[in-house]
Amino acid sequence: MNLPFTLPSAHALVARQDLPIPAWLFAWAASIVLIVSFFALSAAWRRPIFEEQHWRSIGRDDAVRAFTGSVAQAVYGAIGVALLAVAIYAGLHGTEAPDRNFALTFLFVTCWLGFPFLSAIFGDLFRPFNPWRALGRAAGVALSAAGVPHPRKLAYPERLGRWPAAIGLLAVVWLEVVYGASGGIAVGLDPHSCAVAACVYSVYTLAMMALFGVEKWCQTGEIFSVYFGMFSQLGLFGARDGRLGRRRPLAAATSWAAIPGSAAVVIASIASTSFDGSQEGAFKGAIEKVVGWVGDLGLGPTASLRLSNTIFMVLCFAGVALVYELGVRGMQSVPGAPSRERLRTAFAHTLIPIALAYLIAHYFSLFVFQEQAQFTYLLSDPLGTGHTDLFGTAEVGIDFAVLSSQTIWYVQVAALVAGHVLGLTLAHDRALSIWSDPRRATRSQYWMLAVMVAFTCFGLYLLSAGNG
Amino acid sequence: MIPATQTLAAVALPLAHLGHWLWVFYVIPVLIVIGGIIRSTRAEKKREREEDEGNPP
Repeated sequence: MNLPFTLPSAHALVARQDLPIPAWLFAWAASIVLIVSFFALSAAWRRPIFEEQHWRSIGRDDAVRAFTGSVAQAVYGAIGVALLAVAIYAGLHGTEAPDRNFALTFLFVTCWLGFPFLSAIFGDLFRPFNPWRALGRAAGVALSAAGVPHPRKLAYPERLGRWPAAIGLLAVVWLEVVYGASGGIAVGLDPHSCAVAACVYSVYTLAMMALFGVEKWCQTGEIFSVYFGMFSQLGLFGARDGRLGRRRPLAAATSWAAIPGSAAVVIASIASTSFDGSQEGAFKGAIEKVVGWVGDLGLGPTASLRLSNTIFMVLCFAGVALVYELGVRGMQSVPGAPSRERLRTAFAHTLIPIALAYLIAHYFSLFVFQEQAQFTYLLSDPLGTGHTDLFGTAEVGIDFAVLSSQTIWYVQVAALVAGHVLGLTLAHDRALSIWSDPRRATRSQYWMLAVMVAFTCFGLYLLSAGNG
Repeated sequence: MIPATQTLAAVALPLAHLGHWLWVFYVIPVLIVIGGIIRSTRAEKKREREEDEGNPP
């Protein structure tokens, strides 16, 4: 009589992942971990500790300066520019097969995923290698050397804040997962489109840097600086006045969201990852229905699919924003709460570990597999012509056996739980600095607990539906 | 009376679509937490009210 109870698994999760318990039980266990963490924080964490970074310089100044001085900065920048040029060249002149072309894996896996992972540990690694910043700064140096006066910069509209980066972040993900609907390939966008997009973005970025200044645009509008910089706030190292120093992990995040639009950036990050994870899983059926309805309006199949996916991507953004807004409104109901606007800004940084957790959970296996390709056949044959073997690794393939499906699942669950516990910790710490009464601070965090449990369960549901 | 050969299909077919309802299991912890929040918030508000009534200004 076991058969009727094994048949339903054909549509469920357990059969494919071969887990010892149903996947939804992990969501229950993760929720319990969060609730226990919440009460432990309430009982033992009575004063804020993350409001101060405790930054201190590391190493001897002259030794550190060798790695952070202007010469070193120029070298890092030149490396960044050279790699961008190789990626664009490979995209324009290499094979049209996305998985054999250096450009896509380098831009959308090595950089897009690698920088957040590394920055979250070590701090802002992208900044020195940022090719557009390097070009902007080089242009400034060239103008000075030629004796040409620098053109006057426009005042950046402060209310615009990081909104250009938030919208740009959604646009980058849209380009990858909607415009270049993958069809089972790691990154499905065609390399030529990717290279053209990189050229267009380079022109746009350099123009904005010329208008508003290199550093100002990197701080607010340059998508990659803002996005990778957001994760670097969790990291151990940070620079101050050109000096490298150590700081308390997570502490830099507390001041990151002070610029308007920062909450939109972190929400866009969670939403875009959620959409990418659900496109072929949890939302697949619903997207197919919408494709049918849109198709009935007379649009072609590709346009229908892109429009439907775009609608769902926007809905994901709205959904994540709504959950956060509910948390904010809940906190506002606690006596002594500041304005809703201030709460929205004050707690936005607590979503950064969640955005990182979502990123690890959804892309960790892709990163491990694709980096094998990056450092073997894509490095030896970047154009994918089949005739080049620069480092003798052109024939090496990806070993998919390095990660079992169980390992991937456990890493996903661990990342989600750890990310949400860290988010809860940051939120509790911030609440203690807003509400001087620890009891009220704890009460305000009931709502953030609900937000964290909701994001955890949603993330695990997306993963289980995607895996199943 | 359903023949034995049909019993399996009769039971299995509706259950085969159970996977479409698995999301419910993921919503339950969220609902429990929200329920707990509403309950404890009410209890705290009631206690505060009682404290205020017990200590008039």
